[in-house]
Amino acid sequence: MKRSAWRIGWSLPVVALAIAPSAAFAAGAEGGLPQLDVTTFPTQIFWLIVSFTVLYIFMSKIVVPRIADVLEERQDRIADDLETAERFKGEAEGVKAEYEQTLADSREKAQALFRETHEMIVKEHAAAEAEAARKTAVTTKEAETRIAKEKDGALENLRAVASDAATAAMTKLTGISVDDTAVGKAVDAAMTQRGA
Amino acid sequence: MATSPIEQFKIKELVPFEPAGVDLSFTNSSAFMMIAVGLVVVFLTYSMRGRQLVPSRWQSMAELSYEFIANMVRSNVGSEGRPYFPLIFSLFMFVLFGNLLGMVPYSYTFTSQIVVTFALAIAVFIGVTILGLVKHGLSFFKLFFPAGVPIYLAPILVPIEIVSYFVRPVSLSVRLFANMMAGHTMMKVFGGFVAALGILGVAPLAMLVALTGFEIMVACLQAYVFTILTCLYLNDAIHLH
Repeated sequence: MKRSAWRIGWSLPVVALAIAPSAAFAAGAEGGLPQLDVTTFPTQIFWLIVSFTVLYIFMSKIVVPRIADVLEERQDRIADDLETAERFKGEAEGVKAEYEQTLADSREKAQALFRETHEMIVKEHAAAEAEAARKTAVTTKEAETRIAKEKDGALENLRAVASDAATAAMTKLTGISVDDTAVGKAVDAAMTQRGA
Repeated sequence: MATSPIEQFKIKELVPFEPAGVDLSFTNSSAFMMIAVGLVVVFLTYSMRGRQLVPSRWQSMAELSYEFIANMVRSNVGSEGRPYFPLIFSLFMFVLFGNLLGMVPYSYTFTSQIVVTFALAIAVFIGVTILGLVKHGLSFFKLFFPAGVPIYLAPILVPIEIVSYFVRPVSLSVRLFANMMAGHTMMKVFGGFVAALGILGVAPLAMLVALTGFEIMVACLQAYVFTILTCLYLNDAIHLH
């Protein structure tokens, strides 16, 4: 579609170039191509100079400075806005950093408090345990002392009873009364021997 | 013969003006030059009257044409081209409006006049040559012998470069003039066919519609070509090769 349009476009000048000269010759009686009529040259050049000078003066004095102004102003404005945006962004980042700092600080503080409390509790616990252990030890010792004392007492009684029994048996069996001291010795020896 | 395809290019005297025996009458061609200048000025000042930060549609168009040419000058000539920007912008708008104005029915296309395009081209040519001579002095003539070329090529290269240099105003003016004349002649011829063929004239009429679009494109394109070549010549004069 596009290509055919181009082909038409290119073929047209060929057609025109074939036709134009004949048309020009047809008008030849009136002086050929109007563009080649030298008598019109001075006026065309003169008015071209006049109009183009007017245009150039307008352009260089009014139009170009004005458009350049507007474009520059826009450029400045955009640069300015970008700068402001950059500054605000920097500020926002500062605030964010500050916030994060605060957050980190609080977290650290909370952890310190937790650790402290934990330590305190552990210490108190340990103290209470030590106290309890000490009390238990004392009680145990007292009990042990008492048991030992009672055991000694019991052994003493046992010795007296054994001596009496030994003396009574001797007297009854042999009719010999024996010395208490000798009996006591024999009982001691027997008790020691049995591991009492 | 009122339907002659070249009838439209005739210069018609509107206000006679003949100082010292030279015919400087105000003609249809002069009138359309003035109209083009008026339209350019009105377009570029009226659209910018608000100086809005966020441009209106008309203001965007004015800014767009300004930046189009500003970029063209910047990329082709560089920062040294700045002082010539108003001139090149004027040239572009003048030729563009001249071409486009010619597309309005019953109007006159002053850019289809070889004398007008040649006057513009020769002014560019002379201006650029003087600028080059003032800026570079005699070393301006290095333009005709590019650096790095073997010396024994000089007898061939220098004449070619000189001829191509002096042909510039001719090619610049003839390109614009021939494009405008051919397009308008063609449209007139097809217009004649439409009238002559009666009901069958639908075919050339369709052609005429396509041609109108094509000619509007050519009008813009030729204004662009004229301007960008001016920039290139200016660049040659400022930077040599």
